[in-house]
Amino acid sequence: MRIEIEHNLSLSLSPGSGQLLLHLLLTPGSGPMQTVESWSVEAQGIGNAGRFTDAYGNGVHLVNQTRIEGDVTVAARGVVVTRDTHGVLGRPEGEPVVALYKRVTPLTEAPAELLAGFEIEGNRLDILHRLMSLVGESHSTARQTQMQADGGQLQSQGEEPATAGDLAHWFIGAARSLDIPARFVAGYLVGDDEHEGGLHAWAEAFDDRLGWIGFDPVLQLCATERHVRLAVGLDGAAAVSLRTVPAGEISQSALVTGG
Amino acid sequence: MGDTTPFDEMYNPDGSVREPYRALAGWLSEQPDKALGLMQADAEAIFRRLGITFAVYGSDEGTEKVIPFDVIPRIIAAQEWRKLSKGIEQRVKALNAFLYDVYHRQEILRAGRVPEKLILNNAAFCPQMMGLEPAKGVYAHIIGVDLVRVGADGYYVLEDNLRTPSGVSYMLEDREAMMILAPDLFQRSKVAPVENYPENLRRTLESVAPVNSRGTPVIAVLTPGIYNSAYFEHSFLADQMGAQLCEGHDLFVDGGKVYMRTTTGPERVDVVYRRIDDDYLDPLTFRPDSMLGVPGIFDAYRAGNVTLVNAPGTGIADDKAVYTYVPEIIEFYLGEKSLLQNVPTYNCTDQDEREWVLENIADLVVKEVHGSGGYGMMVGPTATEEMHEEFKRKILARPDNYIVQPTLALSTCPTHINGDVAPRHVDLRPYVLVGDEVRITPGGLTRVALKQGSLVVNSSQGGGTKDTWVLED
Repeated sequence: MRIEIEHNLSLSLSPGSGQLLLHLLLTPGSGPMQTVESWSVEAQGIGNAGRFTDAYGNGVHLVNQTRIEGDVTVAARGVVVTRDTHGVLGRPEGEPVVALYKRVTPLTEAPAELLAGFEIEGNRLDILHRLMSLVGESHSTARQTQMQADGGQLQSQGEEPATAGDLAHWFIGAARSLDIPARFVAGYLVGDDEHEGGLHAWAEAFDDRLGWIGFDPVLQLCATERHVRLAVGLDGAAAVSLRTVPAGEISQSALVTGG
Repeated sequence: MGDTTPFDEMYNPDGSVREPYRALAGWLSEQPDKALGLMQADAEAIFRRLGITFAVYGSDEGTEKVIPFDVIPRIIAAQEWRKLSKGIEQRVKALNAFLYDVYHRQEILRAGRVPEKLILNNAAFCPQMMGLEPAKGVYAHIIGVDLVRVGADGYYVLEDNLRTPSGVSYMLEDREAMMILAPDLFQRSKVAPVENYPENLRRTLESVAPVNSRGTPVIAVLTPGIYNSAYFEHSFLADQMGAQLCEGHDLFVDGGKVYMRTTTGPERVDVVYRRIDDDYLDPLTFRPDSMLGVPGIFDAYRAGNVTLVNAPGTGIADDKAVYTYVPEIIEFYLGEKSLLQNVPTYNCTDQDEREWVLENIADLVVKEVHGSGGYGMMVGPTATEEMHEEFKRKILARPDNYIVQPTLALSTCPTHINGDVAPRHVDLRPYVLVGDEVRITPGGLTRVALKQGSLVVNSSQGGGTKDTWVLED
């Protein structure tokens, strides 16, 4: 599927912020599931940005800005061509050792309530599919696919609908508690009748035979050709698109159209 | 471990003087009455003049103390030192290989030689370091290995200190003071020099500059500031090396590179010897509330534009729970048996060991896994019964948070106490530099427990220091 993406971010800072440093994870990579046809990141100072790869294999821009007036805007846009691999990413090169993704972070504590009574039977793929159903069903009210900038906190009160990031964290926490490596994916989704397109988040879990496989607890599907991978990490905080010093309030949205 | 008689470094059990101490014994016997007392007073004046003070955390704000200095040097024979320094070199090489491995392919975890969970879920493991290629493959460049001597031939390693070990300025100033106080004693012995440490530090730092840096690398010493207990040392080392002493706001990152603000404009920095803990180093990557660090400096490091010394995440190799695996680590990477021994350590998460520990707590030393500087520890034989009970409760509540070791019979050295000379317990922290080569300064910092019978040598707990002599052949 040929997917056009326009991702807009806006940062509002408290007045008097003279110097700003932005850490951008806004560069999708090509791989077995997708080929980046064209891509550009627009921000003041991007031409002088430091560029490198982070611990998870994500491309990073480190951008300096001075004399900030009003809100700061960053935009990323481009075209990505995706392939349906039944969610299988495999074992791309240049990634950190898989076991890293067994590390439990504050956002990926095992959801004990959810796992109560969960039967660890069958092969790893069965287990992961059942986990995905469990996470999705427990939040059947979760229809809001907009991801929070920090990947979101687990919603225990159930007053606000959980975000896609929450569900991904839940799935990851559950998988890691079963000693299965799992990671957070920040990306984009082409919408349909049931799910709004735009910014999205899901998880990948590792199978010794197939490698990394994308699991989307919101859609209750393995990653499809409607999913575009942007960044991965131990959790949403590690895969967040924009981090800044000084910190400010970030709002973002993406227009994602597939054809 | 059954023998609890401390090793006397000066006297043999039959009362004769051990070989390395012969010259000192002769010199001591020639000193007129009160001479040592006068030297002690001179020493205090010298240290005040040099401005060597330290702040004690938890005491009244602004309390600056001169660390007590003992005028009688500690002496190590040449062949003893050769053996010891080989053991230290082996250890720092293995620990750097371990760090490279845990931040790359994790072969040692795959081989099951160190438990995977102990590393991956450890707070000291820094996932942001994964895959990074540090210059020369070195993570821990500046190391202070804490040792205790338990016999003529036996040293135990207490801790490896791979983060930001302090105290090297005391080693240097103790030597300087000793040369002023007792020049005649130096004439009787051939003592290996320590004063080239700053030059060796500079060489080490220059040798790990990023591959793409040009000309003579520019070095900055990054300090948390004047309120840090080791600020004197930061400024001292910068001064001795001819490097710039900087606080976080003196450095900035632009275009993924690190610059220093100078009166003539920004100057590119190649190597940052940082004396700020990982958590506070960079608010963009680590604790966002840190005001001490440099925003973006970790990204500049990842981009290969600056070298951080020591690397973030080295704490995983000196974690007290990982410590017990160091002999295993040495075998795995070097294929050699460990030359230096670890202190036997009990694992409180094991039920049998825990029960034994709780029964025998009065004879044991309990340390918090993440504690340092003598804080959060209990020495059983000198602690009160209430403290024994308190630590029993603590161990039961969080068995993984404590390691327990037997009370070691730390060796003793002659020490000047109120005009007399009496044995006092000592430890030893040699300083190791790792860059293009391993450089170990002969000797190190000897800390001495000035209270009779005390085994706690930390300066924050009433310990002092001694000049440490390694004799040359």
